[in-house]
Amino acid sequence: MEKLNRRTTLKLMGLGAAALAMGRGLAQQAPTADQLVKGKNAKLIVLSQRPVVLETPYDLLVSQPERTPKEILYIRNNVDLAGYNTVEGASLEGWSIEVGGLLDKPFTLEAKELLNLPQSEVTMVLQCSGNGRSFYQPRTSGNPWGRGGVGNVTFRGVKLKDLLAAKGAKPTEKALFITAHASRQGGAAEFVRSVPIQALENALLALSMNGEPLPAVHGGPVRLVFPGFFGVNNVKWVQKIEFAEAENTTAEQMPRYRVPAIPNTHLPFLPQEPGGRYTYTFATSRPNWLVNVNSFIFAPLEGQTVEGPYVRVEGVAFNDGIVPIVSVELSADGGRTWFKAELEKTERSFGWIRWRRTLYLRSGAHEIMARAWDAAGRSQPLDGNLAWNERGYEWNGVMRVRFTVA
Amino acid sequence: MKRFLFLTVPLLGLLGYWALSQYTLPEGLGKDLVLAKCQACHDLGLVARERLSRARWDAVLDEMALQGLKLTPEERAGILDYLATYLGTTPPPVSPAPTQAAKTGAQVYANCMGCHGPEGQGNPPSFPPLTHVGPWAATEGGRTYLLHVLLHGLQGEIRVGEASYNGVMPGFSWLSDEEIALVLNHVVAWKAPQGFKPFTPGEVAQARAKPLSPEEVWRLRP
Repeated sequence: MEKLNRRTTLKLMGLGAAALAMGRGLAQQAPTADQLVKGKNAKLIVLSQRPVVLETPYDLLVSQPERTPKEILYIRNNVDLAGYNTVEGASLEGWSIEVGGLLDKPFTLEAKELLNLPQSEVTMVLQCSGNGRSFYQPRTSGNPWGRGGVGNVTFRGVKLKDLLAAKGAKPTEKALFITAHASRQGGAAEFVRSVPIQALENALLALSMNGEPLPAVHGGPVRLVFPGFFGVNNVKWVQKIEFAEAENTTAEQMPRYRVPAIPNTHLPFLPQEPGGRYTYTFATSRPNWLVNVNSFIFAPLEGQTVEGPYVRVEGVAFNDGIVPIVSVELSADGGRTWFKAELEKTERSFGWIRWRRTLYLRSGAHEIMARAWDAAGRSQPLDGNLAWNERGYEWNGVMRVRFTVA
Repeated sequence: MKRFLFLTVPLLGLLGYWALSQYTLPEGLGKDLVLAKCQACHDLGLVARERLSRARWDAVLDEMALQGLKLTPEERAGILDYLATYLGTTPPPVSPAPTQAAKTGAQVYANCMGCHGPEGQGNPPSFPPLTHVGPWAATEGGRTYLLHVLLHGLQGEIRVGEASYNGVMPGFSWLSDEEIALVLNHVVAWKAPQGFKPFTPGEVAQARAKPLSPEEVWRLRP
C-alpha cells in the first residue's frame, strides 16, 4: 500500500470531522420529541413528525422495568388530533360517545358520566404491532422500529360491559365484532378498528394512565383499550363504538395491520418467501389482534461489560393474557442448552412479568438468548424471520444480547 | 487504488450519514410529484428512508390509494418510477456535486402544493389558502410569523375569511435558507403589497436560530 504522509492523513481526518459536524448540525434541525409533544423525554427517537411516531430508546425503556411513565412511553399515531400533542390530560367537557350498531338500546353518553360509574383497573402491555420490524430481512415498509415500541402501563376507567349494564343495553346475537371510531375533530382523517366480540370481556373505556389523567397524545380524554391486543386496536380519542356483524372495511383494518394466514383459518401466520408480495383479503389474512408471546432481556444490555463470573440476567415476558407465561429459558451457547429463569409470578397477566436468573459465565464475550413459553405451549421462534411479512408486523424472534464479562 | 479506496470509503460513508440524517429526497425525475402528493398526509422521512423493491413500492402505493391518495395513471407511474429508481434496494449513486441550475420559488413550492394547491388556493376543511398572506410581508410581525410557520410549523385554530382551519402544519426546517426565502417570496407574490421587500436567506437564518414550537408560532399570528 502506498504510504499516506502524516499531513494528508490529518487533512483527511479534518475533512471527515467537518463533514460529520455538518451532518450533525443539519440533522439537529429536525425537531426533538419534546418539541413535537409537550412533556415527552427529549431522548425519544423521532420516527415521524407527522403523524407523530416516537420510539423509546431501549436503555430508557429498561430503566423503568415496572411501569412505563408517560414521559417515555412510545407513540404511534396514525392521525394527529390538533392541539393534542401533550402528555397532559384532555378535557372531558363536551366529549360525547355514541354506542350503537347491533345493540338493542343504542345510546349516546357524555364522557364525564363515566366518572360516576364503577371504575376498573388493568395493567397491560401496550405494544405496536410493528415493534421489532427492523429485524426482518429484507427490510419491510413502515417505521423502522427497534424494540422500543412497547410499554407496560396501568389504565383505569369503566369497563365497556359495565357501561352497557348501567344503560341496560345488550349486543344482539348477530354482533360478532366491536368497531371503534376515533374523533375526527379538526378535519382529522378517519381511524377505525374492529376486534372480535370476545374482547368485550376486558374492554375498558380508559380515563387515566398510571394514576394520572390519560395523556391527550395517548388518546385522552377517553381511549377504548383491549387488554391483550396489539396497540393499534386500542382506539384513541374514541367517539363512536359500534357492535357489528363483520370487520370494518377501512384501510386500517384491510390491508393494513394484517399478516398472511392460511385461508379461512386465522391460524397464526402463513410463512412467506421474504421479499415477495401477497394479496391480502379478509379470507387470506388475519388482523394484528392478540399480542404474541415475547420476551425482552433488560440486563445486561448489548455491548455492556459486566462483572463476572456470576452474572444477573433479567428481563420481562408477556403474551395475550389468555393463559399464564409458564417459563422463560436462557441460553448462553446458541440454543444448545437452556436454563430456566425465576418468574415474578405465574398467574395470567395482561402486563409483562419480570424474570431473572444468575448465570455462571467465564470472562470474555458472550451472547445470551431468552425465550418465553406460555401454558398454551406457545413460544418464540429462534429465527424471527420465519414470520417475515410485507409490512413487518408481529416480530417475536428470540432476543439475543452480546456483552462482555470482565 | 488502495489509496483511492481509503479516500472514498469514509467519504461515501459520511455522505450516506449526511443523506440519511435528512428528510430530503434524492434529485431525480418525479421528485416534485412525490413532494406534492405525499406530504399532504405524512412527513417525508417515511419515504426518504425506505429502501424497497419496485413490487413493494407498488404495494405501498396501493395502500396509499386506500388511504385516500388520488393519482392519475400517469402520476402513479411517474411516482413509482421515481421511488423504485431512487429509493429502491440498489439506488443509483448520489451525484457527487449538486451543480444544478439555481432553484426557483415555484420549484420549492412543490413541497407545499400537495396541501395548499398549485396556486395556493387551499383545500378546505384542512388546508387554508395562502393567497391572503401577501400583505403580511410588509409588516415586521407578519414577516416573523411567516418565517416561523415555514421553519417550525403551525398548530392551532386559525380563521381565513369565513372558514376556520385546525390542522397541523409541519415545519420545513430541512429546506435551506435560500429555499425558504425563495418559496416565501413566491407565495407572497400572489398578493404582493406595495414596496414589498423580498425575504432574504439572512432573515431565514435569523429566525432559524430561535426555534419555536408550532403552538408558539400560532401565538405570533398577526
